[in-house]
Amino acid sequence: MPSTSSSSSPSTPSPDLPATLHDPKSPFYQQVSLRRAIIASYWTIILLAVPLWWYTTSIERLALPSGRVQQLAQHSLELPVSICVEGPRIPFIDKIQVQLSKQISQDPQRWKGIAPRLFGSTDCEKSSGNKVYSVKFTSTTGTSIHHRQLHFPPNTAPSTIVEVLSSLLVPYSSSRDSKHRIVQYAPHYRLAFSLLNEDAAAGDVVKDWNIQAELRNYINPITRRLGALHNFTVESQVQFHAPLAFPPRPLDHSWGITPADLTVFVNSAEWTLSSSSSNDPVLHFILFIPSAERRPLVILTDTEGTVSPSSAFLVPQWGGIVIHNPTSISSSGTLPDHDVSTVFAAFATQFQSLLGVAALPRGVHAPEGLSAWQLDALTRRRTLENAQGSQDTLASIVKLVDQIENMPVGADVRDDVEDALAALQDMRDAAPVSLAQAFARSATALGLASRAFFNPGMLALLYFPAEHTYAVYTPLFASALIPLVVAALREFMAWKRERREAALMKAAP
Amino acid sequence: MRASRCLIWPLSLLHICLTVIATSYEQFDEDLVLTPLPDGKVSAAFTFTTLLYGAAPRDPHTLNSPDESQHYTLFPLALGQLLREHAVTELHLALNAGNWNYARWGSPPDPAVGTGGELWAWMGTEGPTSIDARWRGLRNSLAGLFCASLGALDAVRTTAPAAAFPPEGALPSWRGAHDNGTTTSGAHEIRHASLPAEHVCTENLTPFLKLLPCKAQSGLAALLNPHRLFGADWHGLGVHVRWVADAGVEVRLSFQGVFDPLRAPGARGKSDWSLHSLFDRTVSRSCPVATTSAIRVALPNSDSYSLVPEPASAAGGVAVYDVHTAAKPLNVALSYPNTFNYPSSYASNSTPFSVKRTLTGTSQAWGRLSVRITNHRSEEMHVLYLETMPWLLQFHLHTLTARVDGVLDDTAISHLTYTPAIAHARPTMLQAVVRLPPRATVQLSMDVAKAFLRYTEHPPDAQRGWDLPPAVLVPVNVSSPLGQTGVRGAGAFVPTGPRVYTSTLLVDLATPDFSMPYNVIIFTCTLVAGIFGTVFNTLTRRWVIVRVKA
Repeated sequence: MPSTSSSSSPSTPSPDLPATLHDPKSPFYQQVSLRRAIIASYWTIILLAVPLWWYTTSIERLALPSGRVQQLAQHSLELPVSICVEGPRIPFIDKIQVQLSKQISQDPQRWKGIAPRLFGSTDCEKSSGNKVYSVKFTSTTGTSIHHRQLHFPPNTAPSTIVEVLSSLLVPYSSSRDSKHRIVQYAPHYRLAFSLLNEDAAAGDVVKDWNIQAELRNYINPITRRLGALHNFTVESQVQFHAPLAFPPRPLDHSWGITPADLTVFVNSAEWTLSSSSSNDPVLHFILFIPSAERRPLVILTDTEGTVSPSSAFLVPQWGGIVIHNPTSISSSGTLPDHDVSTVFAAFATQFQSLLGVAALPRGVHAPEGLSAWQLDALTRRRTLENAQGSQDTLASIVKLVDQIENMPVGADVRDDVEDALAALQDMRDAAPVSLAQAFARSATALGLASRAFFNPGMLALLYFPAEHTYAVYTPLFASALIPLVVAALREFMAWKRERREAALMKAAP
Repeated sequence: MRASRCLIWPLSLLHICLTVIATSYEQFDEDLVLTPLPDGKVSAAFTFTTLLYGAAPRDPHTLNSPDESQHYTLFPLALGQLLREHAVTELHLALNAGNWNYARWGSPPDPAVGTGGELWAWMGTEGPTSIDARWRGLRNSLAGLFCASLGALDAVRTTAPAAAFPPEGALPSWRGAHDNGTTTSGAHEIRHASLPAEHVCTENLTPFLKLLPCKAQSGLAALLNPHRLFGADWHGLGVHVRWVADAGVEVRLSFQGVFDPLRAPGARGKSDWSLHSLFDRTVSRSCPVATTSAIRVALPNSDSYSLVPEPASAAGGVAVYDVHTAAKPLNVALSYPNTFNYPSSYASNSTPFSVKRTLTGTSQAWGRLSVRITNHRSEEMHVLYLETMPWLLQFHLHTLTARVDGVLDDTAISHLTYTPAIAHARPTMLQAVVRLPPRATVQLSMDVAKAFLRYTEHPPDAQRGWDLPPAVLVPVNVSSPLGQTGVRGAGAFVPTGPRVYTSTLLVDLATPDFSMPYNVIIFTCTLVAGIFGTVFNTLTRRWVIVRVKA
């Protein structure tokens, strides 16, 4: 085999070969400059493609105003409260002021963010910026409230005045109990009233409870007064089979629910209470009618069987429940009006308690129902809460974005954060002037901050880690890049050698 | 702000008072119809109807303003919220499993028997939010409420077949000007989508039962035992909401099943059945809030049989039991002295026409769709033929041919409406009126192209092909010429009978091998790198002449 092929061996150029091929460097495609141009053009394309690749694969991460967010956390909000004391002389007012300051220093946590100031009647006119509360000593029928005026009987002791003032201004003790009971702030709540018959088929079914009239009497006055803080949607339903998840304990002439049973009283699996049409938080109010076979059903205060005088209880941040043992039901299945009124009075109390409306201090009465003092105290509490909440949320966003490098931050998130910061700034500006405005801004800030935090766009690339990219790209790029790098290196070496030889040639003669 | 609130308050109070007067009455009726079928099976159809007197569907113009309070006694709140949230005038949802056998079982009690999930709604077109946005919201809410994959009924499956699905109730006009200066014409549109691969099961029945005032605790609903229902040969549930102009909003919840007593243990060839044998339960307590609660048994017409207990009335071949007054526990039982003999043939005229649809062709790119419609009557008939085909199957309309008893006849098809599919975006809607000569068989056939999917469009399931929704045929009267609308918004045809669904089809599309994506990447990369290397090498190769000493 080798012997026959030796005749056409490449070592001896055959005579019919074109002249250009005798010298392998002579064809245009074998010129060094062309080859280098080809290699250079490959590299140029790769280098040009890098920015494009970078642009198409990089994650949009806009800078968040983290400096301003941190700065914000250092300043705490102060809501001034101006109280005008009308009538007595200055030394008496000073005495009240001293006692009030002492109270504040004793429990600073409770008074956090609230700065009360007392004025004598002569200075009242000057401090007309914010809504001024006034204290008068003209009452003849005990302590009473009219709008933002507090009427004491003449010659009330300063300690009593300070006591009443502090429980009106900051009715919330710093204990955890109230904090856990009150629902979180939302601009819109749904109030769901449910009449649950435990077992309608057992007889004595309640079909109708004349809810519209009771809502008008008990619930609507509250929702109207709280209209500046929240909006409410009211709905109601009646259910005829709402079994309990546990058997009540049989007593002598009744059935009892132990405190342990109360924690599992709400049978979410069987009671159709949840509503699916919106994301607004729901406050549930349940009137539970025990089965005709288990009446009366009572609440026990301990395991020994002591019967509680109350038949209503509250589930913190969820709603209220009233157990009602009907004595007389009309043939049409309507509860007597008197019974329903009792139930709705309990619902109204539970509703106020869940929303954080504080009770009036002992001995103080307000003829107009929910007083301006209570409402303002609630508004101040919600403002401080919202301000704190939005600051915390903003700080969390900044921290999260710093921690997770793959998290995209789009223009909508940045705008929301900036708008929330602006709303917080507005809130600070408005705080000395108008409480209502400060509250409105704080609610806006909280809404924007939560929207930024829960922006679905921030999750987009979390589940596509960089390792996947390498795993997919390496088989292609490694095998393609190696010849490119080798060729470039070889040409570079050749070019250097040529230069060195050229320099030697130059130096030789 | 406070001043305006004070002004609005008395008005809204007045409004609430009016609403009280208007919605002061709700009525709930329940009904169970048991029908022995010619092939020895038993059809059970539960119907639970709640009527909310005086209520009207929400005007979509009011969607931006807060809604009136909803206070219900018997009406399901969860459904009411959803209807008002999306301003739905009429809603129909059907979830069925199995194939309704028209030839043996006749027409179903509830015509919505298409296999899988089917949802259609009539909604007002005007207002601040578009009808498509509300349709999306509606199907997502329903998906949540019924634990069904209705969220998948997206724009890729949504059509607007107004003629085949005319409104069952009335459509409100809402005519006139609004406070905000807009005017209403009261125009309504339909949105329809079906999901043939959806399977109805216990997780759909549980929320369905929660919509009933007596749930599954008392009354007829106590018979709805999932262990038995979902073992039935055919079963399906339906939710139908409509507005009856002079009454109110009506919700009809229905459950249908076809049970096989011959298959039950201990049947010994007899098609005896009782409530206990069918459902493993009896009616022990009546629902106290049901106005009427009746069990109707269609009596067999030829056989000798015995029915216990004695029905309250038996007229016109139907025995009726009133659950309120009947002795409890109520266990209706029908028994025969003789063993059951399967009929040698089934009466072909139980339905006016029958239909068979097939997809032929072995290729993954092409096929042929063929529909055979047979007229069982001795007079000419027109049917509206409707295909709402996902873009997975694209019709070649120019190849559509009609053969009457094997003879090519183009006049058999008329009034053709065709909305071509858009790949990845919109389904095909093909609607045509087919003329059926007396006792003739019409065969429509057409070439179809099968789609090639993007890899992300394949479901992450074990591949079994793609289910295609059933075609719908409605007998219609076409005496009025095209263009004159009979029912408002429903096109030119007046339906003369219930809808008939064909069976679903299964199509096999080209499917990539998903089992080794990384291997595919590696192979592809190797190939690309090889080509790249060859080209690059050729371009930059340096030729040298090596002189070898001989």
